[in-house]
Amino acid sequence: MTSLPFVLRRLGHSLLVIALTYVFVYAVLFFLPGDPVASRINNPQNPIPADQAGAILEYYNLDKASIEQFWISVTRLFSGDLGYSLATGRPVADLIQQGLGDTVALAAVALLFTIVLALGVALGAVFAPFAPLRKLFAVLPVLALSTPGFLIGLLLLQVFAYQLGWFSSIRDEGVKSLLLPAITLAVGVNAPIAQVLIQGLRKAYGEPFVTVLRAQGVPEYRIITGHVIKNGSIPAVTLLGLTIGDLLAGSVIAEAIFSRAGLGFVTEQAVRAQDGPVVQAIVMIVAIVFTLVNLVTDLVYPLIDPRIRTAPKPVAVTVAPTQKAAVS
Amino acid sequence: MSRQTAVTRRWTPVRRATPIAAAALAAAMLLSSCAATPAAGGNSTEKNGGTLVYLDAELSSNTQLQSSGTWQDSAYIQNIGDRLIFRDPETLELKPWIAESWEISDDGLVYEFSIRDGVTYSDGTDLDAASVKRNLEWQAYGDAEKGIPANNWFPKVESVESDDAEQTVTVTLAAPSAPFLAVLSYWRTALAADATIDASIEKQSQISGFIGSGPFVVESETYGKEIVFTKRDGYAWAPPGVENQGEAYLDEIVVLPVTEDSVRLGSLRSGEADLIRYVQPSEEKTLEDAGLTVVGVQGIGNANVWDVRQSAPFLDDINVRKALQVGIDREQIVDDLYTDNWDAASSIITPGSIGYRDQSEKLAYNPEESNRLLDEAGWTERNADGIREKNGEPLSILTYVDVYDSTAKPLFQLVQWQLKQIGIDLEIKETDYASYVTTLEDPNVGVRRNGWPEADPLRLTVNYHSAYTNSLNLPTPDPKLDALLTDHITAIDPDERAAILGELQDYVVDQAYLLPILNDTQVFAYQPHIRDFEWGAEARPWFYNTWTEKK
Repeated sequence: MTSLPFVLRRLGHSLLVIALTYVFVYAVLFFLPGDPVASRINNPQNPIPADQAGAILEYYNLDKASIEQFWISVTRLFSGDLGYSLATGRPVADLIQQGLGDTVALAAVALLFTIVLALGVALGAVFAPFAPLRKLFAVLPVLALSTPGFLIGLLLLQVFAYQLGWFSSIRDEGVKSLLLPAITLAVGVNAPIAQVLIQGLRKAYGEPFVTVLRAQGVPEYRIITGHVIKNGSIPAVTLLGLTIGDLLAGSVIAEAIFSRAGLGFVTEQAVRAQDGPVVQAIVMIVAIVFTLVNLVTDLVYPLIDPRIRTAPKPVAVTVAPTQKAAVS
Repeated sequence: MSRQTAVTRRWTPVRRATPIAAAALAAAMLLSSCAATPAAGGNSTEKNGGTLVYLDAELSSNTQLQSSGTWQDSAYIQNIGDRLIFRDPETLELKPWIAESWEISDDGLVYEFSIRDGVTYSDGTDLDAASVKRNLEWQAYGDAEKGIPANNWFPKVESVESDDAEQTVTVTLAAPSAPFLAVLSYWRTALAADATIDASIEKQSQISGFIGSGPFVVESETYGKEIVFTKRDGYAWAPPGVENQGEAYLDEIVVLPVTEDSVRLGSLRSGEADLIRYVQPSEEKTLEDAGLTVVGVQGIGNANVWDVRQSAPFLDDINVRKALQVGIDREQIVDDLYTDNWDAASSIITPGSIGYRDQSEKLAYNPEESNRLLDEAGWTERNADGIREKNGEPLSILTYVDVYDSTAKPLFQLVQWQLKQIGIDLEIKETDYASYVTTLEDPNVGVRRNGWPEADPLRLTVNYHSAYTNSLNLPTPDPKLDALLTDHITAIDPDERAAILGELQDYVVDQAYLLPILNDTQVFAYQPHIRDFEWGAEARPWFYNTWTEKK
């Protein structure tokens, strides 16, 4: 059983990770050359002379020492103020709120497609009646992995928006607008999950308990749906947790192609402009989401596999290099 | 009252897909050398209504007037903010607008503007003399508490007084300023309501925070998704002489930022969009063949030039600079990389700008002369790559690909190839959008792209005078350059100013301080049902007279 001290310890680790992430990102952004205010002052299209630039630097506290700027940033954070985007003047909280809503909706649909696609491909690759068909299914993840996401997006737009006219390439049509970008995201993201799931299902299907179940007269479909999938999906579930990061990263491309102003788009714009407060906030959100997902994944294991729940104590498991390669 | 001399506008022909349209265009060109688009006919009843969907290549980032610099924001402001003075895009004359008349003292120090009656901002407040006074003070002095700088185009202003009874505003300058009226016609001096001036810089940076008196108003904005402009109900203060004196024809303009080139093109071709900005030269013909209109828009102001920065190695030698000047084959650049919508720069400012003086002969490609100059400068040895050397050092010049121009990379590469023929190594590096400005502060960067359409050659002074931003990084100020850059500002007689600007262009080209490359061109493509797509003198779209046949 997952114990409270274990959960608290994991939470403590998570907070430390988040705090260190904040410091690290702040330092990186501080030491990298360029920021929106410097760009504004030295913009060749509208250079601002030094005597006028002073007022701008003072307003943004950029005339202060680095440690002082950091302290201002931290105290603002603890008062719940994420500040303003230096590039656009918009409250960071508003940008995050707008972007997060769009991206969560996109990621949720993409995750659903990912699960369906990965499961479908894996089942096909392991249980399809003919060997060539199984091989074909097994090749699909490799094909998906080696196809750039932007190409899939542009192809989908070409066929379904420009040629057939079923979707708008530029306007927000509500839920309908989620489908093409979600497919774009899911095709790329599901491939490693499908590969791991194929391995897991093959391994589970060869386990002695399957023979026992067959001997007990359990129908084959019940063996697969009720036992093999459950046993063979644990590594894939771990990977599914990590997929959240892939979905967020992939959303940068998908949102650019499908003109969606989600968190990926906000991230791309903020990174492009080195918009410190926005980048900082987004990294923090991603760090928090990752930490929570990892925590939840750890807590979900025992629910899927009772052996983990009944183990006398945690056992360190060394992952072989080949397995690492398969899940990375 | 003095007026700036009218100058003939240089413009890029509108190219239509059909021979009939091309013939009509030729006729229109004969009739007028400065029409923005061919006359499209239609009465105001049939023109009224409809929506224009405009896909811009970049998204609105900062609309704070004094500190903004992005092209797209300037284009939006131009349509929602009126100015005191109107620059007629056809004749380039400066004409009355919100200032229905003005007088200038003989010494050029005192300007008295009479403010038009009955003008209001879109929030219902009056655009009267008091509001104009506040705007001018705000522009002249900035708002340091909010981090808002002064408008760096503004002359030094001693005082601004308003007479509420007479509805006049009197501006007293510290020194005569020839560009002052032109500055007051520029988008950056769009008149803003108190609510905007009172707002924080953050609010002003968002387009929904700009409350103007223009023919369009911001209905809504969703960051990164869309900006919806609607026509201003009751708009009745267009510049005198403009055919439309009422409300704009379009009900609505929906601007969608679509940064992906292929999506903009696909959406236009599939009919989802009416107008797009930024078309790669290689795509122009495809769009024309599909029945769309492609137009290259040029305006007055600075040409696209490369600043030659003398802090970088070897560039303090005039022979090296002059070798660069004639070692670049501008015609080849246009022929090989661009289309008829583009043309080579013929000076450091564009044709039509006040004082423009053609420098084409001095800029003509002449590799023999380049070689002679470099030999004379002692760059006689060549390394295995054919690059000239002196004292064991290769003649290498560092630059970064311009991030503001989507066509820049092939241009830089072609110039690199051209310069290699005369033994100069143009070392091209790339950096990202965010780091570009800071990276190019490196004194070792030898050439940097600069120059955009603007209201007045005043930009030359802001950029290159040693007391301003000294973009040439001269080791010591050049007194002659500084004097010319100062004198054209204080020369209030237009003829005298034009002569000084002519001399300035001669001097800058003779010294090879700048390398003119192209005349800046914005390429738009639009559907045939969009009529009277026009633009201002500085090449920003002006949707006031635009209408659509598709309701």
